[in-house]
Amino acid sequence: MSLCIEVRHDAPRLDFRAELPEGEITALVGPSGSGKTSLLRALAGLLRPRHAQITLAGEVWDDGEHHLPTRQRPIGFVPQHYGLFPHLTALGNVETSLLAVPGPARRQRALECLDAAHVAECAGRLPRQLSGGQKQRVALARALAREPRLLLLDEPFSAVDRATRKSLYVELRQLHARQPTTMLLVTHDLDEAAQLASHLVLIDAGQTVQAGPTVEVLTRPQSETAARLLDIPNLFGGRLEVHEGRPRLRWGPHRLSIGRLVDGDSACRFAFLPQNVLLVRPDKPWGAHLDNPIDGQVTDVLVLGSEAVVWIEPDGLAGEVLQMRLPTRALDRYRIATGSTVQFSVRAADLIVFTPQ
Amino acid sequence: MDWPAISLSLKLATATLVVLLPLALFGARQLARWQSGARPWVEGLLALPLVLPPTVIGYYLLVAMGGHSPLGQWFEQATGATLAFSFTGLVVASVVFNIPFAVQPMQRAFESIDPEVLESAKCCGLSAWQSFARIELPLAWPGMLSAAVMTFAHTLGEFGVVLMVGGNIPGETQTVAISIYDRVQSFDHGAAGAMSLALLLVSLATIAVSYGLADRLLKARRT
Amino acid sequence: MRRLIPLILLALLLATPFARAADAPAIAAAADLKFALVEIAKAFESDTGRSLKLSFGSSGNFTQQIEQGAPFELFLSADENFIYRLADKGLTADRGALYAIGRVVLFAPHGSPLKVDGQFADLKSTLADGRLKRFAIANPEHAPYGRAARAALQHAGLWEAIQAKLVLGENAGQATQFAAAGSSQGGIVPLSLSKAPEVAKLGSFALIPAEWHATEPLRQRMALTKKAGDTARAFYDYVQKPAARAVFVRYGFVLPGE
Repeated sequence: MSLCIEVRHDAPRLDFRAELPEGEITALVGPSGSGKTSLLRALAGLLRPRHAQITLAGEVWDDGEHHLPTRQRPIGFVPQHYGLFPHLTALGNVETSLLAVPGPARRQRALECLDAAHVAECAGRLPRQLSGGQKQRVALARALAREPRLLLLDEPFSAVDRATRKSLYVELRQLHARQPTTMLLVTHDLDEAAQLASHLVLIDAGQTVQAGPTVEVLTRPQSETAARLLDIPNLFGGRLEVHEGRPRLRWGPHRLSIGRLVDGDSACRFAFLPQNVLLVRPDKPWGAHLDNPIDGQVTDVLVLGSEAVVWIEPDGLAGEVLQMRLPTRALDRYRIATGSTVQFSVRAADLIVFTPQ
Repeated sequence: MDWPAISLSLKLATATLVVLLPLALFGARQLARWQSGARPWVEGLLALPLVLPPTVIGYYLLVAMGGHSPLGQWFEQATGATLAFSFTGLVVASVVFNIPFAVQPMQRAFESIDPEVLESAKCCGLSAWQSFARIELPLAWPGMLSAAVMTFAHTLGEFGVVLMVGGNIPGETQTVAISIYDRVQSFDHGAAGAMSLALLLVSLATIAVSYGLADRLLKARRT
Repeated sequence: MRRLIPLILLALLLATPFARAADAPAIAAAADLKFALVEIAKAFESDTGRSLKLSFGSSGNFTQQIEQGAPFELFLSADENFIYRLADKGLTADRGALYAIGRVVLFAPHGSPLKVDGQFADLKSTLADGRLKRFAIANPEHAPYGRAARAALQHAGLWEAIQAKLVLGENAGQATQFAAAGSSQGGIVPLSLSKAPEVAKLGSFALIPAEWHATEPLRQRMALTKKAGDTARAFYDYVQKPAARAVFVRYGFVLPGE
């Protein structure tokens, strides 16, 4: 069972196709202007696309002729700035979702929803008396009160400070565990997507770039566009060739072994994640078990708390710089600083090659 | 004090409110949501009474309602009384020249509602009517009250249009403003002064209340 | 929304009964009759127990309004031509009756440099040496008293010179207001208004010879309109009776036939 989406529109440009697994949290990630918010709004029925085919478990919401109005869709929507009704208390806000429920039961149910979102104590307060995190929770409670089949969240954590965000991630996952609604979360933050979503859809210029389980998309981009969207810094050009009967990736003077077959000689682009650049420790030098050892010079080091980013210029590749991530303590231990020589390796399996389409 | 004139003015202001407010409410809400290149033209048309001299408005109203106009003749056949120079004619004129005073505050109030709030209402499953009654009206009520207050006060003070369309018939179309004019010409400065002062105080109170309401509207926006 | 439209129509229709406020007839009267007619009307009301609604303004204006269908039942004009015009259009019951002949005066408020006299002697000199800055008359376009004032000034050869100093009142009453209240140095206004105590105490005046405005004789004619009811008719007759006539004389009008 899944939510099948096919949306085509002119302004903004959308040519989008995806299938979201039911009951899972899917993140929709893309740069600003990629159309992700418009897509969310099309799903909510707030935008009427030129052509749309939105089907959830057999029920068609939009197919170019028939457009199911927003209020009839079994959705919950949390807008970017929460959209709380300013003249109603938190309780009143949630009760507005529950008008189908008669009188006393409505209030009770609303309190339960607020409680599930950990904001029961805010029930009698107005939105302007609430903090950002509390508003977010109330908006969530209100959206979930209708027991929707699809919950849409539009960058819900962008207006909240970092510390609050962490606890909100946890709470959202707990809520989801208790009430497994299909959720689509729009965000431009990859880390957020990594922490919240089991599925990831990359979108750029209104088109799907890659979709699949989060871990897979993050570690195995299937195209250069995807790699760029995932902000993978180590993106280079090379040649695929067969050398002594074995498939090789030629990067300047280096011949790297790769985990795929090659037929013939061709140019290509390839990438590898910074965390997959392994430091060859001087005390345990290269042995036959390590792939692709390369020497290089450190051009820059940046310490980010417990982790450090090291920029290395590989030998024989003047002008090319790659990024490596190390625990900060390793910098001292192995005396890595700007100017020092270093040897690193990338496993064959971690080299992601994109052949030109 | 010319009590019949005061009473007439109050009746006129009340009748204007009863007729104009519902129409203006509907119009203001539609305008607030309307996206079109034609919108400024419609808004300009509705705002004309603000910039046109009362005599221009009066002239056109007389042409539209006078004894030679289709509307005037229909009215005369239907009721036996003329439309111009009658209280009913005044109510029609008053509704027309108060349009911007009623529509603009309400339109501003509807416009100031955050679109995210309206979208959330839809996503909560509210029908159009429920959204209007539960969300929009409560958020826009200061604008509505402001419109009512401004319309009422403006009607009390209108002179030029009332004179042209209503004439100066005591008990029928002689409002307070015209009565003051009349009294001055009759050298009855005592009455003129008393009524002028009363109108001044009412207008002042009206504007103060209106500004206070505008303030409340602003405060309610800050969520 | 559909529910609101009938409500609005209902409200509009409910406003209509306001139109039938009282059965007292609406009577249009030239501005110069402001004090005289009020007295006559009061006497009428106490004699007959019936009330009237008097509106004062310029005769030209009222003629326009009646042509537009204004609900006046009786029109006392300051000039018979307006009555004839309405009669020709079939808007009056008949060609009416002459009820009085009006007179104009030269009026100067207290403190004005202008000294009044029926020959305009001082008017000539104050105009010449610039002491006269503002002079009030009714608007000749639609007020008979304004036309009479213009005729008199033309007769005295002062019309061209005084043009620039004129303040035009919308009707004879407003002209009197301008002349007497001190915002101008004088004016030509109806005798009937000047004789009223409220106005007389504000300045001094001198009668202008009738021959000076022979082209605008101020023959004041009245007529019942087609809408006239019993009360209006009764008043029409009353105005021509001795009691009313005495009031006219007191306010300086000349009676028809004299």
